[in-house]
Amino acid sequence: MNDTYYDRPLLKGPHWGSNVVTYLFLGGIMGGLGLIQTIAGSEKTPEAIRLRRDARYASFALAVVCPPILISHLGRPERFLNMLRILKWRSPMSLGVWGLVAYTGAAGANVMRELADEGTLPRWMRHLAPKVLNPVQALLGAFIAGYTGVLISATAIPLWGKGKTHIPAASVCSSASGACALSSLLSTLGGNHTVTRKLERLEMVAALGELAILRHFRTHAGPVGAPLFEGERGERFENYTVVAGIIAPTILNLIGQVVNLPKPVDAVRTILASTLTLAGAYVFRESLIEAGKLSANDPKAAHRQPQ
Amino acid sequence: MATGFFTDATLCIGCKACEVACKQWNELPSDGFVFSGNSYDNTSELSGTTWRHVAFVEERAVAEDTVVSAWSMVSDVCKHCTNAACHEACPTGAIIRNEFGNIFIQPDVCNGCGYCVVACPFGVVDLIGHVDPDGVLYNLATLHDDRREAEQTALQGSGGVAGKCTLCYDRQRSGFVPACAKACPTESIQFGDVDELRERARVRVETLQARGVDASLYGADDVGGGIGPLNAFFLLTGEPESYNLPSQPVLPSTRQAHGYAAGALAALALAAVGFTIFRGR
Repeated sequence: MNDTYYDRPLLKGPHWGSNVVTYLFLGGIMGGLGLIQTIAGSEKTPEAIRLRRDARYASFALAVVCPPILISHLGRPERFLNMLRILKWRSPMSLGVWGLVAYTGAAGANVMRELADEGTLPRWMRHLAPKVLNPVQALLGAFIAGYTGVLISATAIPLWGKGKTHIPAASVCSSASGACALSSLLSTLGGNHTVTRKLERLEMVAALGELAILRHFRTHAGPVGAPLFEGERGERFENYTVVAGIIAPTILNLIGQVVNLPKPVDAVRTILASTLTLAGAYVFRESLIEAGKLSANDPKAAHRQPQ
Repeated sequence: MATGFFTDATLCIGCKACEVACKQWNELPSDGFVFSGNSYDNTSELSGTTWRHVAFVEERAVAEDTVVSAWSMVSDVCKHCTNAACHEACPTGAIIRNEFGNIFIQPDVCNGCGYCVVACPFGVVDLIGHVDPDGVLYNLATLHDDRREAEQTALQGSGGVAGKCTLCYDRQRSGFVPACAKACPTESIQFGDVDELRERARVRVETLQARGVDASLYGADDVGGGIGPLNAFFLLTGEPESYNLPSQPVLPSTRQAHGYAAGALAALALAAVGFTIFRGR
């Protein structure tokens, strides 16, 4: 390897701050909830039906909250509309915006169906939201949960490019575990305990999947992974995302599966586990973006870009 | 047919007339008066408001007990890639390939998302004209060395558009040569039809090699990674890295298929587990 140019950075890092991080975090959960409402809907027990309703309400609430957060980083909000003048298959950001629009539509329709079914809205309105929108929201949700990972890995930033398969897969897992955590939180607070167990089982699988992917990414990335896995940033990532955000809630969830705790204690356990998972998911997205900024400043990694 | 630049390091004298001409013609603001400590290069890098940057590669070589300095300068610029990462990444369609085959950012369509900035494998594009929360146009002159960090904090939630070389679209429309090429006193920067420039560059590099000069072309042919040839290419006398040009650039969009596949696989696996958990009672 030859000397670089006075060790100056080759690349320009992202200008993205906490608003983009918050969007990645909430948007992921929103997408994950799309999956959960379909999965829950496959079971016909009253508890599962309640879970489906909660997941639908929560996903639509997030669909209302997310666009303003995303738009806030554009400075002049009206310029968001410029993204709607074109659809580009080659741009994950363009696809993502359209995915977000479509998801909001599907989530809104499914909420309308819930409201029409329970009688808050006129019953005929349920015909405006046919059953097919249920799997549609799941498919769009899976896309929303993962496209942000594709978006950042389809850049010149060495760390992100190196994680072209790891980052999207880990994003999906993190989104799913986050959505499970939020759903079990809502279910527990709503006294819907039967589904909490099931949600926590799924959450454990997603969290362990994420852990395996992140561990593999670390060895796969080698020195390119240093901004994410080493130094102060790496320590924060390890502590908040891996230990407190994945391992600790997984242990708590496992305890919930095998030990028959008294209800109030069990509720506290669920609340704790869910909060830890959600906090870890936020730090995961934050670490990705912040480590990307560091990675952009490393000329050695930038001159030989990952395929 | 496309127009482009052929920039020749063996002819560059480091006068920075190209930088000045570019700033003047395109009415780009100052980058401030900061000494980088890196040879005579106080411009340091291309940015949203610096569209030509003369790199000064100063090598110390020991020849028979005396230390001599070997100099090589070259004027860096947007490469106007055959397959341009910024062009593909742009979600608004603000970045287009114009009638001259150049990559051009339409400032009135750009919405300042910054995706092209991280997409560019050459670190060319950057955001400019941010307006801070008090409504003051952010002046890059106060930033320079701390620019990256300062921009990240001060420009949180502000506007701005992406900026880079337009290849003097306005001048070309009027039949003029781009300002940098016009100002270059040694014809180190040559402007014209890229096919013709490539021919000229091949002849030039052969002549230099015949004279024993360690010369090579960068970007006249496919640079690899899916980017293809560059419409603004270079003749260098050392390794590309020493001029801050990537030796192995990659078109980032080529990674998308892997990403979508991995994401879909993860989602499918989790959905399967989820259905099993919920239905399998």
